[in-house]
Amino acid sequence: MNILTFIAKNALRNRRRVILTVSSVAVSCGVLVTLQTLQRELTIPPESEAASLRVIARNKVSIAQPLPARQLGVIERIPGIVAVSPFTYFGGLYAEEKATGFAQFGVDPERFRGIMVEGRVVQGAYDDWVADRNSCMVGADTLDRYKLRVGDHMRFTGTFYPMDLDLRIAAVFQGTVDDRGVFFHHKLLDDAMDNGGAVGTWYMRVESAAVAPQVIAAIDRAFENSSAEVRAETERAFQMSFMSMLGDVKSLTLSVSSVVVFTLMLVTVSTMSMAIRERFRELAVLKALGFRRHELFSFILAESFGLAGAGAVLGIFGTWIFWSTVNLQKLTAGFLVYFEVTPRIMAMAGIVAAVLGIVSAMGPALAVARMSVVDGLKTID
Amino acid sequence: MALPLKYNFRNVVVRWRSSMTTVLGIGAVVAVVIVLRAMARGIEASSGNTGDPRNVLVVRKGSQAESGSLVTREHFRTVQYLDEVARNENGEAVASAEVIVMVTAPRRGGGGEANTLLRGITPRGIELRPQVRLVDGRWFDPGHREVVVSRRLGRRFEGFEVGGTLRAGPTVLSIVGHFDAGGSAFDSEVWLDADEARSIFDREQYSSILVRPRDEAALQSLVNRVENDKQLTLRAEREVDYYAKQTATALPIKIVASLLGGAMSLGAVFAAMNTMYASVASRTREIGTLRVLGFSRRAVVASFLIEGGILAGIGGAVGCLLALPMNGYSAGTLDFQTFAETLFEFRVTPDLMAAGIAFAVSIGVVGSLLPALRAARLPVISALKSL
Repeated sequence: MNILTFIAKNALRNRRRVILTVSSVAVSCGVLVTLQTLQRELTIPPESEAASLRVIARNKVSIAQPLPARQLGVIERIPGIVAVSPFTYFGGLYAEEKATGFAQFGVDPERFRGIMVEGRVVQGAYDDWVADRNSCMVGADTLDRYKLRVGDHMRFTGTFYPMDLDLRIAAVFQGTVDDRGVFFHHKLLDDAMDNGGAVGTWYMRVESAAVAPQVIAAIDRAFENSSAEVRAETERAFQMSFMSMLGDVKSLTLSVSSVVVFTLMLVTVSTMSMAIRERFRELAVLKALGFRRHELFSFILAESFGLAGAGAVLGIFGTWIFWSTVNLQKLTAGFLVYFEVTPRIMAMAGIVAAVLGIVSAMGPALAVARMSVVDGLKTID
Repeated sequence: MALPLKYNFRNVVVRWRSSMTTVLGIGAVVAVVIVLRAMARGIEASSGNTGDPRNVLVVRKGSQAESGSLVTREHFRTVQYLDEVARNENGEAVASAEVIVMVTAPRRGGGGEANTLLRGITPRGIELRPQVRLVDGRWFDPGHREVVVSRRLGRRFEGFEVGGTLRAGPTVLSIVGHFDAGGSAFDSEVWLDADEARSIFDREQYSSILVRPRDEAALQSLVNRVENDKQLTLRAEREVDYYAKQTATALPIKIVASLLGGAMSLGAVFAAMNTMYASVASRTREIGTLRVLGFSRRAVVASFLIEGGILAGIGGAVGCLLALPMNGYSAGTLDFQTFAETLFEFRVTPDLMAAGIAFAVSIGVVGSLLPALRAARLPVISALKSL
């Protein structure tokens, strides 16, 4: 029997306790990973290379305030802009839904071609969409979710606009960070609203990331002191500011996470001290046999570390598998989409568990180190 | 015969070290669940106590929130002159056509920006909302670029003090007063003159109409009439009902609270089981003695369940104490219907705390079930012999 089997045998001798401890550490690690993933989902938008080349210009008053269509001519002349299209959030409800988990945008299809460059049409044809003003381009995720096919119709009830849409699916795109959106001809909005052409935002692509700051400054300057002042920012900055509006959610998840870590600590600490207290006499025997303090300490540390580690592996990977299989988008009606458990989050939870394993070995190890062999031998369970 | 409760209490106290970890663990779980539910409760409460039951809110059919609604001036004229609408002493209709505009403003202390709702309102509209009281400064003068903001909002946004300014694009609005809306949804709003709002923000149309029908019968008749009039394309609803339904923001928080509560309670059950198993194991001889004295298996099971319940119940109480300081804590989040920041206060109510303690006790009882059965099954003789 070598040292390792000795430690393993010791750890497993109360099998029930091992199972309970490992499971409670696993559950806590799972909760921790889930919370961190939730926080990431709510505060950090998905990153994409193409997004850093895109700029969104909105009304300085707020995103809900429209911009006049005549601004297009001015924006087009700003150097550094490759393509620009109106981009208007429709906010419709699909079919009979009470809450719709994907957005619909009115765009100029011809101009839009040069903006969403990372997406490719996987079914139908882009030109078919351009040619038919009552058609739309749909993200592959939405197509799959509602089991639709090219040629089917999608009906939307307007919540912001006093109009409904009935769109034929002409093309399906895939390959963007968010393959859910529905894009339709902005002309439908212009005709229905009869407001001389108002758009929600301007969506554009710039030549390179290097010119983006100049382009942004030029757009802001172009409409300064006009009746519709503009705030331009990169797509990523735009998404970040939207996420920051969630307000105090971030600090809340953070505090809940720390409570979870605290409970996790209590559980492992108490288990370890229970396990060691039971074995005080044996440890005294080991001491009497000539084992050094640091050897005893490493026995205890290895056991506690092993228990915490097993729980962590189970909890972290279990959670990872769970969230990758569950269709969260369907479950939360589109509120949570990706819920990607990143390696970084998993590593963080792993480190927390490891630190816990070490910390919970400290108390019992100190007690063992301090005990005199005689007192230890006298202890009864 | 049942074992005396004192026996369980004393046991919990004697084994204070392991008791304490269980109590704190369960306390933390309960505190988290209570705080999350208090948050959802707060959001619901702010929309739940908004409005006057005598008022009717008219919005466009199909719109989900007032901010996404459009009401034409013709519609307003039609609604205003309906028979059901009450008149004041001057013979004017008690109806207010209002405009909702969203404005992005900087948060205090460099916390980024947030959206806030501007309500263009008329003197009638202010009379129709007795919940809203001016607490500082004065009301805006029609025809001036002046606004009155909620005092709570004033604490969250940069420059929102009386005498401060609010920038909306090229327009600068001076803040001339603070109002208090008693924790209702209006506490997340900025008010200004309706015509001024329409001219600044270039709005041809209104967003909504708030009217006071003559009496309850007139209210029903007004709602039906607007509903059935195909020309109007409007929807009329009691103001309080409209706001009571605006709780979509609380739903995801509730879901998170129950998921998190479920998962964490599972962990807590394992921890409680651990403690109780250890407690049974170290009391083997004691249990044998009890059996010899004539206590039945059932009494032993009941006793251990009660002990687990007491232990967890103390944990629940600790959880309540931990959650209690959050009561009244004011926070803001994005309203998913208006896309503007909505303010609310955490509400740790007695029923939430009672539910938290009940939740804790059930964790304790479930966690002690298996250990208790094990205790009851111990063969008496060998139990007595054990060290």
